[in-house]
Amino acid sequence: MTGSERPVVLIVEDEPDVAETYNLWLADEYDVRLAGDGDEGLAKLDDDVDVVLLDRMMPGLSGDEVLTRIRERGLDCRVAMVTAVEPDFDILEMGFDAYLCKPVRSNQLHDTVANLRERSAYDDLLQEYYALVEKRATLEATKSSAELADNEEYQRLTSRVGELKDELSETLGGIENDEDFIATLRGLGDVEEQ
Amino acid sequence: MYDLTDVLDFEALSAVRPGSSILISGPAMTGKEELAMQILADGSRHGEGAVVVTTGDRAEDVVADYGERVPDLDESLLGVVDCRGESGRSSEFTAGGTFVYHLSSPGEITGMGIGITKCMENLANNGADSGRFALDSLSTILTYTDKKTVFKLCHILSSRFDTAGYLGVLTIDSAAHDEQTLQVIKQAFDGMIEIRENDGVREARVLGLAGKPTDWQEF
Repeated sequence: MTGSERPVVLIVEDEPDVAETYNLWLADEYDVRLAGDGDEGLAKLDDDVDVVLLDRMMPGLSGDEVLTRIRERGLDCRVAMVTAVEPDFDILEMGFDAYLCKPVRSNQLHDTVANLRERSAYDDLLQEYYALVEKRATLEATKSSAELADNEEYQRLTSRVGELKDELSETLGGIENDEDFIATLRGLGDVEEQ
Repeated sequence: MYDLTDVLDFEALSAVRPGSSILISGPAMTGKEELAMQILADGSRHGEGAVVVTTGDRAEDVVADYGERVPDLDESLLGVVDCRGESGRSSEFTAGGTFVYHLSSPGEITGMGIGITKCMENLANNGADSGRFALDSLSTILTYTDKKTVFKLCHILSSRFDTAGYLGVLTIDSAAHDEQTLQVIKQAFDGMIEIRENDGVREARVLGLAGKPTDWQEF
């Protein structure tokens, strides 16, 4: 096992003890990359990274600045901010997908990373769902209803569309709260004017 | 359950499940926006919350129009997201307590989500844990994005309504898009109210929601 199939988590944290603790908690399930500051974090960031844990208060580049650079690069990783102060809703407006308050506990860290991974899975499922709905609509637009009734591909598409619809609402709990809602919309890659 | 029969008298609309989203589809100038606003106003008259996302009207016009529809309106139970993009992203409260969120473009989907969330949050703070939502119109958003984005937006909104117990009505100009686009967008909804006009007579029918499509009916 090369480990290349495992999800990759990048931890950007200036306190070595804290970073190492997160690493210990996550290393069983994830490939963990450690960065001691914002510049190093950006250097270790690539398409393989699924989730970034970003300390907000660091010497050098701040967490907010690092986030801006990540979004500018158009990478579709999910970013959780780690902060000493309970933030309000504005952090979602700033572009973070989730936040964790220090001191972070092991189960919180696992839950947050798992939830962000689920959001990505939800995006993929929604993309697949759309592709099938579009395909089916094309068939509907070009064939009569009698032809459709006999068309095997159409029947197969229709049952798969139904399955995916259920999967979207059940498997991942759908859209459970405000954070999920905003993070999923952000995944659509809209026309942002900064 | 939401009873819409005071607005549109169809059996299929007598008990609409909370969390449903309905597409109002018809050509231009057939009263789609009017119908959507009537559905919201009917809820507001019974003390429900209301969120309006507009791509064409100024927020203050929406608030003024709403006040005329609902005498004794508690303005704090209304929220407006103005997507016309006349200014940058900003928010404010009107004197009456309506929360208004402005976007810099109708294509700003994340911003729209943040605006909707803040509106819903404000309604909840003022005692309305659920309510009705209207978006007019998807056709404008389609010109700024594409059908894939709009389909996903509708699906995600629908999931959000489901969790929040909201009722959503969203309009689309059926004459402005090809059949395949309408067919795709429709799929993201629980049901559809279709509108047409013949010789000055407006008719509607309901599809989805409660089984078979209804007959056309004057309204």
